[in-house]
Amino acid sequence: MSEKEKRVLLGNEAIARGLVEAGCQFFAAYPGTPSSEILPAVVRFKEENDLDIYVEWSTNEKVAFENALAVSYTGKRAAVAMKQVGLNVAADPLMSSAYIGTIGGFVIVVCDDPGPYSSQTEQDTRFMAMFAKVPVFDPANPREAQEMLPTAFEISEKYQIPVILRPVLRVSHAQQTVSFHPVRKMERRAAFQHNPERWSATPRFRFTLHKQLNAKLKHIAEEFNSMTSLNFIENDRDRAVLGIIAGGIGYAIARDILLEKGLQKEIPILKIGTPFPFPNAIVEAFLQKCDHLLILEETEPVIELQIRDKSKVIGRLDGTIPNEGEMLPETIAQVIGDLCRRFSIPIEESTSTLSLEKMVAGLGLPVRRPTLCSGCPHRASFFAIKKAFPNGIFPSDIGCYTLGMNMEAVDTCHDMGAAITIASGLYQAYHQDGKEMPIIATIGDSTFYHSGTQGLLNAVYNGARFVLVILDNSTTAMTGMQPTPETGITADGHPGRSLSIEELVKGCGVRYIRVVNPYDIKGMISETEKAYRYTQQRDGGMAVLIARYPCVIHQKDQLKIKPIKVEIRHIPPPEKGLPPVKSGAMDRSLLPVYQEEACAQCDTCMIQCPEQAISRTESGYVIDYDRCTGCRVCVVECPTSAIEMPSVGACIGCGFCLKRFECPSLVRREDGRVEINRLTCVDCGLCMEVCAQEAIYQVS
Amino acid sequence: MEDLTTNILLAGVGGQGVILASDIMSEVFMGAGYDVKKSEVHGMAMRGGIVTSHFRFGKKVYSPLIKEGEVDILFAFEQLEGLRWLNHLRPQGKVIINDHKINPPIVNLGEMEYPRDIPEIVRSRFKDFYLVKGTEIALQIGDVRAANVVLLGAISKFFEVAESLWLETILKHLPPKVHELNQKAFAAGREQISRS
Repeated sequence: MSEKEKRVLLGNEAIARGLVEAGCQFFAAYPGTPSSEILPAVVRFKEENDLDIYVEWSTNEKVAFENALAVSYTGKRAAVAMKQVGLNVAADPLMSSAYIGTIGGFVIVVCDDPGPYSSQTEQDTRFMAMFAKVPVFDPANPREAQEMLPTAFEISEKYQIPVILRPVLRVSHAQQTVSFHPVRKMERRAAFQHNPERWSATPRFRFTLHKQLNAKLKHIAEEFNSMTSLNFIENDRDRAVLGIIAGGIGYAIARDILLEKGLQKEIPILKIGTPFPFPNAIVEAFLQKCDHLLILEETEPVIELQIRDKSKVIGRLDGTIPNEGEMLPETIAQVIGDLCRRFSIPIEESTSTLSLEKMVAGLGLPVRRPTLCSGCPHRASFFAIKKAFPNGIFPSDIGCYTLGMNMEAVDTCHDMGAAITIASGLYQAYHQDGKEMPIIATIGDSTFYHSGTQGLLNAVYNGARFVLVILDNSTTAMTGMQPTPETGITADGHPGRSLSIEELVKGCGVRYIRVVNPYDIKGMISETEKAYRYTQQRDGGMAVLIARYPCVIHQKDQLKIKPIKVEIRHIPPPEKGLPPVKSGAMDRSLLPVYQEEACAQCDTCMIQCPEQAISRTESGYVIDYDRCTGCRVCVVECPTSAIEMPSVGACIGCGFCLKRFECPSLVRREDGRVEINRLTCVDCGLCMEVCAQEAIYQVS
Repeated sequence: MEDLTTNILLAGVGGQGVILASDIMSEVFMGAGYDVKKSEVHGMAMRGGIVTSHFRFGKKVYSPLIKEGEVDILFAFEQLEGLRWLNHLRPQGKVIINDHKINPPIVNLGEMEYPRDIPEIVRSRFKDFYLVKGTEIALQIGDVRAANVVLLGAISKFFEVAESLWLETILKHLPPKVHELNQKAFAAGREQISRS
């Protein structure tokens, strides 16, 4: 027999492998960290093995779920994948599918994000499984996730119930050596059986279905009790002072710590792979043998709450394990060490790193917040929006562009599609008081397709008026460049039907639609102003701008058609006849001076000053030189030239481009001046438009 | 083959190729017959944020995460990121840092300073320290993107894994037109350690 093929796979790739080994015939997903890599890997295994698997990027999780569920109705095996907050979107079909059940195996892969690293919440999908009353598998590592999938499909088919596989980020984004089992070529044909009492059950039938569901769960729990591949005891013994019940990643962490501390013979572990329905018999039996029981599970006390007798239990409910944040090995090692000392279990002491920890903490190192990439078109859009409405309210949404908050152009980020609904709510709240605020909402193209249209329809229908900017970079950038309906490319790379955002917006009843190029910053500013004016007209309404420019990472070639190489001048050009700019502190002689006689008292300078350094008094405006950075914005914006400032034409170190444009390729030198980092600059030329000192110029 | 697990913490800034480097290392050590586990964070942090990859290999590895204080080798692609994770090292740990600085936004805003004398701070605590001119060498060779291959060359010197396995695996991940350049980068990285 030849040795099995082995490969190092990402957890999500191992899950994909498990899906094809289980004979999955239909797979749908919506991208979201940490789940996004499953679908591309399914496509890869499908092609490598010449399998007939239908694969789609659905427009959202609910859509993906219902499509896959219907396939299971026909007797085929189907699966769907999403991140944990995606299951909130699909919660409606999930609840109902538990009652109505399935025919062909149906597995829902939901990737949790304890930490959280890339999500709004740390929610534990095992609770969603309990809530919906569907079985859930909790893998400890990629290999186990792969091997659980065929079993998950079998349970699903045997009991006609959807099953959830819940990997956490440290499973989805871990890599491990994985053995390949043979792929299963499933050749089931669609055969939908008419059965209205089941498929369209009325409330009276739902009661019966609920009763059946409870019976199914009872049987599944019994089966889980005896499935030793999923729920098993390591180092079993008649008596133990301390035992551990560990689920998922908690098991992997516990195993390593016991091994390192030489405790593997002292402390038995009951590993729970199926936290719901609860394998109570095996847990009760284990409980009898241990004087004390530590529960290690990620993220909520799901196992812990289901243990009936809690007198021996140590875990989250008594505060021993932190109730928020990712479960870290160092924390668990500390807990196990403390318990060993408390219960007089001999333990190998490890060396303390406390002094180093104190040293590093004492340095107060600068954090490194994420920023939009060099040349990102969203940066240009946000700059223009903020410039057009310095005092606007900016609801935004989920994607790379949430980072517009660094530029103070994003005020809210709630859940997929909420930019539009939060904006209409804000509009109605102010409108009720007879006040109109400039509200400029931003949403990405993929997020708009996901759940933007309902909010937009509602805004139009109920008369909300705000500017919606759809940031269209023609990809789902943050999660790894998945195609959108606009590109028309399907999940397996074939050309499909391409949809138009303009038509969709028009279909929602919006009459004011403009497509703008954000790289034309001046044009973008004026279009934003015009759009807002339309919302204020008597016969106006909702205004939508589509800021269209490809993602610079995804389509670098398109950007490089016309590279604009720029440089920053540090010494004024000779024709200016001015002395070189001094290094270090800002030269007061370079700052703006207000001239009252020319002033029209229009407030423009006060509104436009990004540092709020200008205030109005009875005798005109006053510049607070402690706040003024010399960015020159007031000088450029003043319609009557009432603010004077020497035009140096060189970088004076005002920092405007660093703070307000925030391009990672603009770097502050030690003397406070700015230089361009050639290693990362993509020659987009946008910073030239931003510097009011005219210090940034194009080199030929 | 030693029984113990070796823990390597890779650290850098989003966009530096930290994840690619750790992917390559996975394949190399698996090819050399080890059990490999690693873990990292994808998504938003990648846009210029802090990136780490926990990399573990040995006979049998359970958890993908390395406990604080148990890193055997800290492999940093940037100076500040090397300093940031120093307390995760064992007292006798090895430190390999790319001699390169990337300002965090907060430094660019002038609100904080980039820490001074990082190599000196590291050296005062860890004898086994290598400052590798990864970015500088890559630029000399002609492509800054080869910096992570220079660094892989440097770290490869510390394991009894065939040089050819490293090189083969690296080239497999790169388009043919840059093979020659990256071969040079890898060799230059190895030489950095031989010389020190």
